[in-house]
Amino acid sequence: MKNFNKITKTLTFALLATSIFGCKKSDNNVTTNPDPTIGYVKIASGYADGAATKVDVYAKDSAFTGYNKLYIALTDSVTNKYVENAEISLMPDMNMTTMSHSAPFENPASSQAQNMLFPCSATFIMSSMGGTWSLGVSVKNLANSKSGKAMLSLKVKDPAAARMFSFVSPLDSAKYFVGLVPGEKTIVGANDLELVVYRKVSMMSYPADSSLTISFEPTMPSMGHGSPNNVNPVHTANGHYKGKVNYTMTGTWKLAFVLSKGATVVDSTHYIDFTF
Amino acid sequence: MRVRIILALAALPLFAYGQESGHKDTVVEMNEVVVRGMLSDQTRQIKDFYVANKAATTEDILARMPEVTMVRRGSYGSEPLLRTYNSGQVSVLIDGMRIHGACTDKMDPATVYVEPQNLKGINIQTSGAAQVGSNVGGTVDLRLREPVCGCERPVSGALSSGYQSAAGYFYESGQLSFSKERWAIRTNATYRKAGDYRAGGGAVVANSRYEKMNAGLSAIYKLNESWNMKADFLYDDGYFIGYPALPMDVGYAAARIASLSVMKWKPESRWERMQYKVYGNTVYHLMDDTHRPNVAMHMDMPGRSTTVGTFGEAALRLGARRHLMLRGDVSATDLYASMTMYQPGQPDMYMLTWPDNRTIQSGIAATYTVRPDTQSSVVITTRIDQFTSLLTTQDARDQLTVLQEHPETSVNRLLKNLSVAYSRDLSGRVRAVATAAYAERMPTQSELYGFYLFNAFDNYDYIGRTDLKTENAYKGDMSLSYSTSDVLVSLAAFASRVNNYIMGLYEPTWGTMTIGALGVKRYANMGYGNMAGAEAAFVWKAPRGTQVVSTFRYNYGADDKRTPLPLINPFRNISSVRKKTGRWTTQLDAEMALRQDRVNVAAREVKTPDFFKANVRVAYATMYRLTAFTIEGGCENIFDAAYREHTDWGRVYRPGRNIYVQVNCSF
Ligand SMILES: [Cu+2]
Ligand SMILES: [Cu+2]
Repeated sequence: MKNFNKITKTLTFALLATSIFGCKKSDNNVTTNPDPTIGYVKIASGYADGAATKVDVYAKDSAFTGYNKLYIALTDSVTNKYVENAEISLMPDMNMTTMSHSAPFENPASSQAQNMLFPCSATFIMSSMGGTWSLGVSVKNLANSKSGKAMLSLKVKDPAAARMFSFVSPLDSAKYFVGLVPGEKTIVGANDLELVVYRKVSMMSYPADSSLTISFEPTMPSMGHGSPNNVNPVHTANGHYKGKVNYTMTGTWKLAFVLSKGATVVDSTHYIDFTF
Repeated sequence: MRVRIILALAALPLFAYGQESGHKDTVVEMNEVVVRGMLSDQTRQIKDFYVANKAATTEDILARMPEVTMVRRGSYGSEPLLRTYNSGQVSVLIDGMRIHGACTDKMDPATVYVEPQNLKGINIQTSGAAQVGSNVGGTVDLRLREPVCGCERPVSGALSSGYQSAAGYFYESGQLSFSKERWAIRTNATYRKAGDYRAGGGAVVANSRYEKMNAGLSAIYKLNESWNMKADFLYDDGYFIGYPALPMDVGYAAARIASLSVMKWKPESRWERMQYKVYGNTVYHLMDDTHRPNVAMHMDMPGRSTTVGTFGEAALRLGARRHLMLRGDVSATDLYASMTMYQPGQPDMYMLTWPDNRTIQSGIAATYTVRPDTQSSVVITTRIDQFTSLLTTQDARDQLTVLQEHPETSVNRLLKNLSVAYSRDLSGRVRAVATAAYAERMPTQSELYGFYLFNAFDNYDYIGRTDLKTENAYKGDMSLSYSTSDVLVSLAAFASRVNNYIMGLYEPTWGTMTIGALGVKRYANMGYGNMAGAEAAFVWKAPRGTQVVSTFRYNYGADDKRTPLPLINPFRNISSVRKKTGRWTTQLDAEMALRQDRVNVAAREVKTPDFFKANVRVAYATMYRLTAFTIEGGCENIFDAAYREHTDWGRVYRPGRNIYVQVNCSF
């Protein structure tokens, strides 16, 4: 049977080898999915009362400490249809009995939904172990100009391997949060490495920070090797830093970071483990 | 994508007209006869010389040829090289078919798939331009034996069984043939099993054992007076093959090789000889480190190669003094190898070591032979090859983004080869041949796409690159031969310059991948390499059934900074005296090599001391009814010399005193 397999393989290959001379393989593009939320999990849900709008928050995975890419779906609670034009602003909040604080976030860049969803982000800086997270979502439905706010409770877990870290800069004594922006798909090969940096100004304010210089080195601790041709992330916009990380094999990689401001190294003790 | 294909017919010069046109040097001619088994007395002596004992493997036979260098990493699976050329520069073919090993560590040269029992001849081309494929170093073509129609006995066969003491080695082989007027079938099978051998001086070499099975089936059908149709199938399985010079062994290796040919042979006609063949082969290879102590991390390293191809050859008579040989060939090879590492408590670590790739080759060649007068001849050989290599899977392209911006771009090369040979009879007995050639080659798949391939020779990880310049060579050869009915003396000398010489270049900023590796080398064009050398052979048919054969070789290689090239053998001599008295044959062999002090330090090559080795062999032949029996016995390395050849990896000593017995019967 195994041999037969080999023979068929060989024959197929022969056919392929001949076909390669003449024809070009056509790319079959992915068709638009009728249900925009397929492939996502719903991590929070509630009503923005004044706007008569149901607010559902989706993500690729359940919420975790670190940079979470979120996708908000708005549904008109009367017509049950998706709302595709709305102004949305977020306000994450953690209640820790004695005090409460917010977290870094990014509102949807546009009031126009992309495939029914509004992409945005929240960087949860601790897990629900320490208190109760809620996500405030203010909605102004541009179709009927109604506004309202939803307070959605959600659970934030610590991931198996940390996807963010924080440090206090010796220069300004401010606390900085550095999160890994998850890529679409990780390959053995060159991958985009995207980080996001926020500076804590107050308990409620975490603006994006563009002032750091980041260098990093990927290694595979179980084997003790690294990889060549990596590109250090540099600031692009809104606290996002983009570079390239090369993984030469699957497994667990450790990305060790050195963050500087001007000539001063402000942090060199942190790393992020990445497994694929 | 579009690949331009050049298709036509071309030539195989080493075939029919070799002796007639006299464009080859004598040594090659000798080799060609070696196993082609032409039945003149003199050539038979040489055959016996190369096939020293019945249990000899194809690589044992090759190892005795002066222009062949064997790179040895274990008791089996040594890689044949020619003269001073490295493995990327030499082509090894089976019956004109391309076959690519599936091992990134070169554990599986094509020579392991053809048992001597199945070998009709070994065509070795060293001088001039290659006909069967573009290369700068020459070609080893293993010709498969054919079934014969119309034999006196419709059924014939042979059985052999042998034992050798140094490795507790068993050898069993059988062959069975059926012959009818219009068709014939030939089958053969060989089983070899060896334990860890005892090296000279007494130490047992761990992980040197091996076990393998080879079988062949060949059928021929006479279509008419001049046309035959032939089908060949080769089956080869290695169950465990130890490589003491490498960190891993072969856990399992399999090759399946099939071809279908139609052949014409009509002497004196215009299209005197024609052959058209379609073939396919696949090689699977699985390395194994579970038998090794203290392995930091176990890993699986499977590989597969699949080749399909076709070629046509024709020999044309253009007149009494002019011949033309044409050959055209097309082939495609798919190659893949990967590595998965296991660390308890960790996810599996997987990478491609040969990212899936395909090489499509098409070439045409022509050899034109003209004899302006009865004393001299001129042979002009040309070949053009179009090569395309590309990555075939997204995983492969993804992975190579680590090394290059556009791994989706294919590598295309047009290779050009040209040689001119002039030969002249200086007297009835002396013939001189001079050859000049220009040749180009395609980089190997490892040189293009290799991804952290660990090289146990220098302990570096090797990485390929697709922007290598084409390696090319200017080659010159001279040979002189003297022959009478009793004596044959031949001398050959060669020199060549290889430009854009491809070698691994140390990349100090790159980290290794393999645990324990010293660094990373990336293939690069290194300026040029200069090579030279000489071979000599002496054959004497002395009175009273005595025969003497002696061969010599010397090789020299240096790069453009006069640094010695690695893996260049020192001066070597192998001599044999054989005496036949009645049913008894006795033979004494002496093998020696001088020390090699010219080493390549960057390749971490070490000096090799000289050695001397002697063998004695005795055979007794008898007949019982229609069955012929031979009993052979002997002692190899009588003085138990602890020695290694310069091209042996890992400073592993070769087998010590080895006593063997062998029984053969044929009916
Ligand atoms: Cu690794
Ligand atoms: Cu291997």
